[in-house]
Amino acid sequence: MDGDIPTEWLRAVLPLAVLAAVAEHETYGYAVAQRLQAGGLGTVKGGTLYPVLNRLEADGLLTSSWREGVGGPGRKFFAVTPAGREHLARRSAAWHTFTEQAHGLLPDPRSTR
Amino acid sequence: MTGPATTDYQQRLVAALRLRRVPAERIGEVVAEVDSHVAETGEDPAEVFGTPRAYAASLTHEHRRDSRAGTALELVSGALAGWFLAVGAVDLFEGGSHLGLPWWGSVLVGLLLGVPGGRRVAARARQVRDPRDGRALTPTARTAVLTVVGVLLLFAALVAGLAVALT
Repeated sequence: MDGDIPTEWLRAVLPLAVLAAVAEHETYGYAVAQRLQAGGLGTVKGGTLYPVLNRLEADGLLTSSWREGVGGPGRKFFAVTPAGREHLARRSAAWHTFTEQAHGLLPDPRSTR
Repeated sequence: MTGPATTDYQQRLVAALRLRRVPAERIGEVVAEVDSHVAETGEDPAEVFGTPRAYAASLTHEHRRDSRAGTALELVSGALAGWFLAVGAVDLFEGGSHLGLPWWGSVLVGLLLGVPGGRRVAARARQVRDPRDGRALTPTARTAVLTVVGVLLLFAALVAGLAVALT
C-alpha cells in the first residue's frame, strides 16, 4: 500500500475492489490478492482478504466451491452471482459520483494557488 | 497442512473459533482457507492472518450468540439436574426419599433435566472436518466417546467404592 493512502480509504473500497476482481473471472483468494496488488492497492493480507470474501458470500454476492489443487491442497474458487454483478454496477457508479464530488471540493495539488 | 507450525496454528484456530461458538462446518471452511492460502504462498499463517485468537475475533459475522432465555434455561435446568442427581444418590445410599420420589425417580428427573444442557454440549463438540477431503480436524467421535465412557466408568467405580465403604 502506498504510504500516503490512509487505511480507512482501503477499508472503504476493499469490498467493492474484491467484488470487481472476482467479477472479472472465477478466481481464488491468493489470485485476488495479487490482482489487488497489481491494481495499486498494495499487499492485502489474508487476514483482511478472506473475511471480506466470506462476508460477500454471506450477503449472496459471491458463491464458492473447493477444487482440487495440483500437487497441493485444494483451492476455494469464488464466482460472482447475478446479485453481486448488479451490486457492483450500482456501487461502482455511486463510488465514481462520490469521488468526482470529493475531487471538486479538494484543492488541486498541481495548482499554483 | 504444510508443517508443524501450521498444524499448531490450525489447532489453536479451531479452539478459538469454538470458543466463539462458530458452527463446525464454518470452522472447517475457515481453517481450510488459511491452510490453502499459506500452502500457496509459503507464508507464516500468524504473519498474514494474525494470531488464531485475533483472527477468530475478527470474523465477527461468523460468531453465534446464544439467546439469554436459552442460556438461562441451560443454567437452571443444569442446576436442577445436578440437585436431583445428588438427591437420588443420597437416597440410594441412605434410604428415604425427597419430594415423594424414590431414588431412581430423582435420578430419572435429573437425567431428563440435563437434556437441554447435554444437547448444547453435544452441538459444541461436533467434529470439525476439512471441506476439501473430509479429514477430521478434531479428535474423532470414537475417541470422544471412549474418553466420556472412561470418565463415566471411573466415576461409577468411585461411587461403588463409596457405597461399599458406607455399608
